[in-house]
Amino acid sequence: MLVTGIKSKPVYAPLRADPRGRYHLMLGFGEGEVALLRVLTEMQSSVPEGLARTRVLLMSSDGEAPPSDARRNIESLPLQEVRAFSDMPPLLGEFRLLLADSLMGTRLYVAGPESFIGLAMRIALEFNLNKDEIRAEQLGSLARRVHCIHCRVITENVRTNIVRCSGCERRLLVRDHYSRRLAAYMGVMVDAEAPGELPPIKEVFL
Amino acid sequence: MSEEQTLPVEVSGIEQLTPLIKHFTLSPVGGGRMPAFSGGSHIVVVMRGDARRAGARVHRNPYSLLSSPHELDAYQIGVRRMEESRGGSHFMHDQVAVGTRLEIAHPVNLFPLDKIARKHVLIAGGIGITPFMAQLEDLHQGRVPYELHYCVRSPEHAAFLPRLREREGGRLHVYYDSEGEAIDFDRLLSDQPLGTHVYVCGPAGMIDRVTATARTWGWPDSHLHWEQFSAPPVGDAFDVFLARSKVHVHVQPDQSLMESIEAAGVEVPYLCRGGVCGFCQTRVLEIDGEIVHNDHYLSDADRGKFMMPCVSRARCKSLVLDL
Repeated sequence: MLVTGIKSKPVYAPLRADPRGRYHLMLGFGEGEVALLRVLTEMQSSVPEGLARTRVLLMSSDGEAPPSDARRNIESLPLQEVRAFSDMPPLLGEFRLLLADSLMGTRLYVAGPESFIGLAMRIALEFNLNKDEIRAEQLGSLARRVHCIHCRVITENVRTNIVRCSGCERRLLVRDHYSRRLAAYMGVMVDAEAPGELPPIKEVFL
Repeated sequence: MSEEQTLPVEVSGIEQLTPLIKHFTLSPVGGGRMPAFSGGSHIVVVMRGDARRAGARVHRNPYSLLSSPHELDAYQIGVRRMEESRGGSHFMHDQVAVGTRLEIAHPVNLFPLDKIARKHVLIAGGIGITPFMAQLEDLHQGRVPYELHYCVRSPEHAAFLPRLREREGGRLHVYYDSEGEAIDFDRLLSDQPLGTHVYVCGPAGMIDRVTATARTWGWPDSHLHWEQFSAPPVGDAFDVFLARSKVHVHVQPDQSLMESIEAAGVEVPYLCRGGVCGFCQTRVLEIDGEIVHNDHYLSDADRGKFMMPCVSRARCKSLVLDL
C-alpha cells in the first residue's frame, strides 16, 4: 500500500570525491560528519590541492553535545573554510549565500539524514545544480518530511506509514512519491472512502 | 516503408549577407504558416535538382533556423558556401533563385536552451551564429542574463552584425581573426556563476577547445552544449549489403552511405544528417575490414556494433547492415 518502485524516490550512494570538480562545498549533519571526513581523507591523498578549495558546513544532531571526533579531525585539515552550526536555519542560510557566491566547477556533497539532504537539495535546485554536480549519502534517520496533499502543510520527522497531519489532522498514508521542489514525500488521506478504517500503523522510517 | 515527411516551400527572398553566406527566406507553398519551432532548431533541406539531368543527385543538408520563433510566416536560413562542397551548398548558392521550390523536413531541436539556467554564455564561430539568432529572440524577452561571443574571419565576413550590435549592445562581444583577436576561453569559463550553461556552435576546433577548457575548470557535462553538423566526409568507395531489404549498394567516394542507401530506394530514419542526433544508428551485422566512425554520438563501447550512416564510412571488402 506504500506503493514501492516509484521513480521519484531519491537514491543515495556512499560519497566519493569528484576529482573533476574544481571547488567543493560540503554539508554534514550528525553522522554525516563521518562520511565527510572519509571523503576529505580520500581527497587528501588523491587531490590534496582540492582541500584549499573546499568549504564545509557542519551541524551535530545534538547541539549540546561536545564536538565529535569526526568534526575535530575535519577541523584539523587545511580546508578553505569549516563552520559548525547548532541550528538548521542558519546553516541553510549560509549555504544559500555560499551558492550565490560560487563559480561553475563547484561540486556539492551532502551527508546526513534524508530530510536534511532534501532541504539542501531543494536550495541547490534553485541554483540549477544538476545531478552531475551533486552527491548525497544518507546516514542517520530515515524520518520523512510529509506534505499533506489536502492542506499543503508539512509534517516533520515522520517515522510511521500512517501519520496525523499537523495541519488538518487527517490521517495520511505516507507515499514514496517524492517532490524535490518541496523536499517532502506526499501524504494522502488514508481513510477517505471508509472513515476510521486504518491499516496497521507501523514504524517504518527509522 | 513510410514516405519521407517533407513540407513544400518556395524561396521568397535571397540576400547575399557576406562573400560566403547567403540568406534564404522559405515560405509555405500556397500561403499559410510554417510549423512552430523553438530557438536552436534545424530543418533539413531536400534539394532534388533536375531529375532529367544525368547523374543528378539528391542533397539533404541540415540548416539552423535563424528567424524568430514568434514569426511563422516564413523560415529563414543562412547557407555558407563550402569550399569543398559535396554539392549541397553550391546547389543552394548557384541554382536556387527566388521562386525555386524546395522540400524541407520538419524542424527538430537538438540544441535547445536550458529552461532553468541562471545564465547563458553563447559562443559562435562564423556561420555558427545561425542557431543563436533564433535563440536570442527568446533570450531578449526573458530575464535570464546572457552574453554572446562571436568569432569571425574579418569584418566583411560577419553576418548579422548591424542587427546584433543594435539589439544586444554590451552583451555582444565580437572577435576578428583578421585583427588577431581571439576569445580567452580560460578567462571566460573560469569565472561564471553557478547555474551557467555554455553553448557553442562553430568549427570542430572551437567546440573542442570550449569543452576541454570548461572541463578543466570543473564544468559538468550537463552544462555544456554544442552543435556541429559534420558534412559527410569523403573516402574510399565501398560496398554494402542491406540484410533486411536484400539490396546491394555501392557507395561512391564523394557520396555518404546514407545517400547511397536512399538512392537505392531504402529509407533510413534521420533527423540531423550530421552525426549528432543518433536517430540513424544502424546495427553492423558483418564487416570484413573497419568502420570509419565520423559521428559525435556513439560511445566507444557501441562503436563495434553500430554505425551512423549519415556521416560514417567503411574501409572494407564487405559490410552487412541491419536495414
